[in-house]
Amino acid sequence: MKGFLEYIPGDSILHRLDPRTKLLMPLILCLACFAADSILLLFVILLFDVALGYLGGIGKQTLRTLSKLARIMLFLFVLQILFIQRGETLIPLIAGLRITDEGLRTAALVALRLIAATMPLATLLSLTKLDELADSLVVRCHVPYKYAYGVTAAIRFIPEFSRQMSEIIEAQTARGVEFDTKNPFRRIAMVIPLCVPLLISSVRKIDGTAMAAELRGFNLRGRHNIRCTSRFGLSDGVGILVCLALAVAGVLL
Amino acid sequence: MITLEKVCFGYGKNETLRDVNLHIGKGDFCAIIGANGAGKSTLTRLMRGLLRPTSGRVLIDGQDIAAARPSTLAAKIGYLFQNPDRQLCRNTVREELLFTLQYAGIPADRRDALCDAALERFSLDGDGDTACMSRGERQRTALASALAAEPPLLLLDEPTTGLDYSECTAIMERIAEMNERGVTVVMVCHDMEIVLDFAKTCVVVADGQVLGEGTPADIFYNQPLLKRASLIPPQLIELASRFGGEVGRPTHAEDFAAIIREKRSQK
Ligand SMILES: Nc1ncnc2c1ncn2[C@@H]1O[C@H](COP(=O)(O)OP(=O)(O)O)[C@@H](O)[C@H]1O
Ligand SMILES: [Mg+2]
Repeated sequence: MKGFLEYIPGDSILHRLDPRTKLLMPLILCLACFAADSILLLFVILLFDVALGYLGGIGKQTLRTLSKLARIMLFLFVLQILFIQRGETLIPLIAGLRITDEGLRTAALVALRLIAATMPLATLLSLTKLDELADSLVVRCHVPYKYAYGVTAAIRFIPEFSRQMSEIIEAQTARGVEFDTKNPFRRIAMVIPLCVPLLISSVRKIDGTAMAAELRGFNLRGRHNIRCTSRFGLSDGVGILVCLALAVAGVLL
Repeated sequence: MITLEKVCFGYGKNETLRDVNLHIGKGDFCAIIGANGAGKSTLTRLMRGLLRPTSGRVLIDGQDIAAARPSTLAAKIGYLFQNPDRQLCRNTVREELLFTLQYAGIPADRRDALCDAALERFSLDGDGDTACMSRGERQRTALASALAAEPPLLLLDEPTTGLDYSECTAIMERIAEMNERGVTVVMVCHDMEIVLDFAKTCVVVADGQVLGEGTPADIFYNQPLLKRASLIPPQLIELASRFGGEVGRPTHAEDFAAIIREKRSQK
């Protein structure tokens, strides 16, 4: 199975977009989400996020990301409801706590906003070859070579980390540590010490990668060494316009 | 001790293991050999209950391990992962071993003694920092931690890979000692010399299937089988099989030399 943010090859219209567009679209959508103050509009943006996933041929994966995010946000949603006590009481709870109309609305807005804002970046990054993204950033956007490759290398390590983490958890299960407890706090307390081996092996790996890059003359390379063939096209324009339209709607509504 | 009945398993859609039937008896020293990607690690993970077969059963001491939680088997099975770094999660070697002992359910008053015994057995420094040890030391620590609770069954995934000759023999001798004391050992190994020297039985895996079982000598003198599994026998056996049946089936240089000497004196 492909990990989070790992490149998924394909030939969809989204795959063929300019890497810059694929970075710009999530940014605009993110702004749109934070500007938007209407639950309906946020739903529309969320639908658009899912549509993007299907357009890129990774519908199933997008839905899986959505359900994972939704589970995290549910937690936030409940917290928000409990903390915001202004407005009309809808349902009274114990100890003077109550669910209010304002609490419900704000909680829904926050949860929806965070989901809708993070989804497109995950979707579009997994449809972008990281090397193309870095090349395009260096040549077209004049980002310094080292930073562009630093960032893409970091993104590349994320799926690697999650694979390592599952191996580590497996290794601890073999010793008799039980991770399948229902209590989320106990689970977190168990996982934290495991970050030690993850950190150690990651630092080793990053050190090795950096050294290997150095040995192959990474320092000597610069803008002039890169051939970047990507160009803005019609589909790039359409994609960015749709996102802009959503952002404008967000500001106005 | 371990029985696999018609076990099939796949990570995704395609099957990694197909219809594996296997029995490993108590006190056995069984080597699992096969090319990279043949499914050896997957097989040991299934035996440990870390993976569930898509069909078929894995029995340990006659009990289906699907019913047991992986953690309850910790006291019974010691498991060494292919990559020791995934296993080590404490700062010092002693803490690492004590951690294993605790989770294996060993009472607190016995842990120190067992820990010292394991340190002694693998000539490890208890205060050594697990993060900055050599590859060999890390491997020995991981192995010591797998053995510390003295489980009756050991599953070892490539215990000797990446070690030099003396580290290798040291580790294998410790494992052989455990086996003499009645511990059942199942070991994935790429070094055919080691398999020949230490294993009592041998299972050949290729392409997710068990192609053959037998004593190491039986397996290594079965050239068509080795060929199908893309394995090469130890040089000595390769040489002896060139002579056909003429020199018998020696497994060690001394046997071979003795046979040759005898032949010469007959002439
Ligand atoms: N976690 C995993 N996810 C998906 N496929 C895997 C995983 N682990 C192993 N495989 C695949 O299963 C096959 C057998 O792997 P493995 O049991 O590790 O082989 P061996 O240990 O014999 O070298 C390989 O083709 C490998 O690509
Ligand atoms: Mg393996």
